[in-house]
Amino acid sequence: LNTQQQLPPAEKDHLRVGYLRLTDSAPLIMAQELGFYQRYGLQVELCREASWANVRDKLVTGDLDAAQMLAPLPMATALGVGGMQADVITGLALSLNGNGITVSPSLASAIVDNGGRPGEDAASTAVALAEYIRSRPGEQPLTFAAAHTFSCHIFLLRHWLRAGGLNPERDVRIIVVPPEQMVDSLARGAIDGFCVGEPWNSVAVQDGVGAVQATGYDIFNNGMEKVLGVTEQWHQSFPGSHLRLRLALMEACNWLASTSNRIQAAAVLADKSYLDRAIAELLPSLSGQFVFSKDGPALDLPHFHVFGRFQAGFPWHSQGEWLLQEIGEMVGRDLSAEEVTLQVQRCFRTDLYREAASYLHMPCPSLDYRPTNAHRSVWEFEPGIELGPDMLL
Amino acid sequence: VGFEVLSVIPTASGLLFQMSQQEPDVVIIALDSPDRDVLESLSVVSSHNPRPIVMFNEAADQEFIADAIRAGVTAYQAEHINPARVRTAIDVAVAQFSAFDALKRELDATRKQLSERKILEKAKGMLMRLHKIPEEEAFATLRKLAMNKNRTLAEIAADVVSIVEKSGAQEGSS
Repeated sequence: LNTQQQLPPAEKDHLRVGYLRLTDSAPLIMAQELGFYQRYGLQVELCREASWANVRDKLVTGDLDAAQMLAPLPMATALGVGGMQADVITGLALSLNGNGITVSPSLASAIVDNGGRPGEDAASTAVALAEYIRSRPGEQPLTFAAAHTFSCHIFLLRHWLRAGGLNPERDVRIIVVPPEQMVDSLARGAIDGFCVGEPWNSVAVQDGVGAVQATGYDIFNNGMEKVLGVTEQWHQSFPGSHLRLRLALMEACNWLASTSNRIQAAAVLADKSYLDRAIAELLPSLSGQFVFSKDGPALDLPHFHVFGRFQAGFPWHSQGEWLLQEIGEMVGRDLSAEEVTLQVQRCFRTDLYREAASYLHMPCPSLDYRPTNAHRSVWEFEPGIELGPDMLL
Repeated sequence: VGFEVLSVIPTASGLLFQMSQQEPDVVIIALDSPDRDVLESLSVVSSHNPRPIVMFNEAADQEFIADAIRAGVTAYQAEHINPARVRTAIDVAVAQFSAFDALKRELDATRKQLSERKILEKAKGMLMRLHKIPEEEAFATLRKLAMNKNRTLAEIAADVVSIVEKSGAQEGSS
């Protein structure tokens, strides 16, 4: 920490921070376990929540001070689509990627029979799925599930389907199923596939009830996944606490950038009080040795989750605009370019990220926009600013 | 309040089906249910389920929503329903939840009392056997310990049981 710069005091030092039972809750949990909150004078109570709707409502009523959120949620909430309207902002993204598309074993073999090569070529699995669907006209449409209406999961699923030449509105049925019920729904045949965050893909693989067809990274390299959400009003009342909370989480994200640390994190996350799952279910995605099907090989996917690298914490406006356009498409609302720019500016607070980064001497982008679908490998955005690949399937 | 309860669904599975079959005007849901996200998806993805559901109207005041959330319930209503009627329904639900909560707390307290009594009996029995003393004396010993250490009788009893069990295990293994 820069000793020249005095940190503003925490207006509130006891904070309640919400999270869901997901592997990429790691930054919030490790910040607690490693004492980063304490380092910044905060006493944080982590609150495990059952739904994103709860997270949103508790932020609004003040039962939670801050929470992990799906990247599209601050904007969906600001628009008031699908639930309570509230001005939710983020000054810190917590992770990139972390999702997967998994289908039932019978659908997985149909995809292989139609030329799909999961683990090698994500596009081929979507094309093969389309072939299979066209080969059975008149049959009930296949049902896919995602964890939330306004989630990267739905956007990734729709993008993958389109990459195969399918129409996500017409050719399949897409429903929302809570993450914890995904594996069971797949096993019972209530759904044919899902797009969800970890550990639920790995749980399905290890239980032998599903096989992964594509990772989130395959579909959109380094897409923003989770963010730290607070209400705009909360930020205005407690800017010092908010800054300290972001700093603690940025330190946790930096710590999680190292693979060996992540193996330690898996053991912590597995605990009853956090994810309450077997370590073996958390390791594949955290270690980047990801397994697509039961007894299949572990593939080296170091970017399955990205924490603290590639400017993962920066709330890019370009990402925000992409997410907002996807939200608009979901609700059938035409948002003008001006509306989009203003809404993203209000929700994705790059100024807050830059403020925190300066305390940690972390370099950060001077621009709010970056290109998408332009880089296949790691590249330098500005001197000292390394970004990851950004291709769309 | 003039509402007919169509269905009480304990878990999520089948929620989508129930929604399309019953077309409820109001859905009251426990806050700890992960199905809230499913329910909210119905108001957006209307092609499979035409029933619009929104959480309150813009008119609903913040304080009321906060109260409902703290009580552990929330409501989703069909758009054509008068918000005042929903408010009545949720008031009733909140009252029921509070009553249930009070009952649960009472039950928890009773359970705790029972288990405390059990551990006290066990500690007493151990002391009686170990020191070959009568019950009153064993009880007096525990009470004195509790008073000296400024702790509850149940806590001291639990300590005694765990210490005796540990030393017993060591004796057994040596």
